[in-house]
Amino acid sequence: MSATRNKRPLDAGHAAYLALNALLLTFLLAPIAIVLVFALNPTPYISFPPVGVSLRWFGKFFAGTEFMNALWLSLWVASVVLVLSILIGGACALALARGNLPGRAFLTAFFMSPLMLPAILTGLALFQAYLLSGIGRPVWGLILAHTLVAVPYVIRTTLAVLHNFDRRIEEAAAVLGASPARVFFEVTLPLIRPGVFAGGVFAFIVSFDQFPVSLFLVVPKGETLPVVLFNYMKFDLDGAIAAASMVSILLALSVVLVLERLIGLKAYVKL
Amino acid sequence: MTGGTRPSPIAWLVAPAALLFVLFFVVPFGVMAMMSFYSGNPVTNPNAFATTRHYERFIFDTAGIFHDALWSTLRIGLVTTVVALLIGYPLAHWMARMQSRLGHALVLMAVIAPMLTGIVVRTFAWMTILQDKGVINTLLIQWGLIEKPLPLMYNEFGTVVALVHIYVPFMVLTLTGVIGRIDERLEQAARSLGAGRFRAFVEVTLPLSLPGILAGSLLVFALSISAYVTPSLMGGTNVLTLPMLIAQQVGTSFNPNFAGALGVILLLVSLVIVVAYNRILARLSGEQGMA
Repeated sequence: MSATRNKRPLDAGHAAYLALNALLLTFLLAPIAIVLVFALNPTPYISFPPVGVSLRWFGKFFAGTEFMNALWLSLWVASVVLVLSILIGGACALALARGNLPGRAFLTAFFMSPLMLPAILTGLALFQAYLLSGIGRPVWGLILAHTLVAVPYVIRTTLAVLHNFDRRIEEAAAVLGASPARVFFEVTLPLIRPGVFAGGVFAFIVSFDQFPVSLFLVVPKGETLPVVLFNYMKFDLDGAIAAASMVSILLALSVVLVLERLIGLKAYVKL
Repeated sequence: MTGGTRPSPIAWLVAPAALLFVLFFVVPFGVMAMMSFYSGNPVTNPNAFATTRHYERFIFDTAGIFHDALWSTLRIGLVTTVVALLIGYPLAHWMARMQSRLGHALVLMAVIAPMLTGIVVRTFAWMTILQDKGVINTLLIQWGLIEKPLPLMYNEFGTVVALVHIYVPFMVLTLTGVIGRIDERLEQAARSLGAGRFRAFVEVTLPLSLPGILAGSLLVFALSISAYVTPSLMGGTNVLTLPMLIAQQVGTSFNPNFAGALGVILLLVSLVIVVAYNRILARLSGEQGMA
């Protein structure tokens, strides 16, 4: 009885709750949709409402040498960072989970700390160190800087997988006579691979979209895409930026889909 | 179980990461701290001497901009955090209590997708929305609601809006984990005892999610006080934050020593927040272990 009496006001409250959340989701997603609109709008400056659909800004983006050099540099740096951080981060996660290291909790926090400290300070500190040691600003310096901030993601996703899987599988293989190396390559590695790969995808995106760490470490004419876009935006706000943004967003979205296929997104809810 | 407490050979796999972190993280931060106490580059300039003048310059602030920059950094961080909490909490609650797995995955994707879009790109999106000829002002003028464009950008308001959008996913993800661990039956019990949906939430779920609120807020605060791209594009010349000041010192003034001192100050503020954040997370996982 009381349930039926309560039903009406409760539903109104629930409707308001759903409406609020729909609004908040719109707030999250609308800006991305708007970038797409401007990327396709042919007017010379950002203006609203759009007057038509054209690919002229994508043309300008893909024809601009500065944009293209930056895009290729970013892709190249991000690819190397992907490989390096998978190797370094994957190995580190294994050591943390299976190595019986003393001070494990401290070490884990230490390897996560680049995520917690201001990235612009990591960039500044590396800039100072490179300046003092006189090595200048080489591309490998930028790559290692990106690797430093990407490795924590690989460690985190790999640790998540390592914590979830049953150690008895490894022990069973060992009991059945497999050598430690064989256990590693035939049992452990295939089981943690999704976590390592997912971390690698994150590493790629972290590097590809990286701005604060790159800011002080790039040289003129050798700037990554986010830095070039930032400098361009300070003076010009036209559709080329929107087109470049769309290229980045499409790349990120395809990566999300790959992630979802690889191991499901649920593993990342835990920060 | 297998190796007792002695490190096993697998422990050596930590070596590459340790090497990378020492050479490219610990040493550089040490160099930055050292540079902040020198008058110049001690390697190339033999006349460089140890000094505390960079810190004095900040503390006495004769130019009258450094303290303002520090305050506006903290103010922007605080407002961003509060707004991100107000926006993030309902989303996190919705996601944590969602029955349908598909719905959960879709909302999660909607929350994560902006996260995977670069900061520069998302700031650009907000510039197209909030500038004088942007989406909001154009629509409001077209509908005859205003005559002159509202000053939505090149101020702290625009900066906060864009920062909230960029960092709210971190708040949602932190809160979802915490709210998801609260036993839903507690709320149901309160409601069966006569509390309304709202009262049951305020008196049961909200207090239990307090550690998540704290952790998420500290995370968003730490991220937003170190933001550079968004305040410099959305704030224009009307907003000056500590990270913008640091970039100025490196880029235009070429004073890496003073930049180092500013960096150490920002680092100290962040470290306090990070330590508090880790304390709360440690206590959270402790509670989870007992349950």
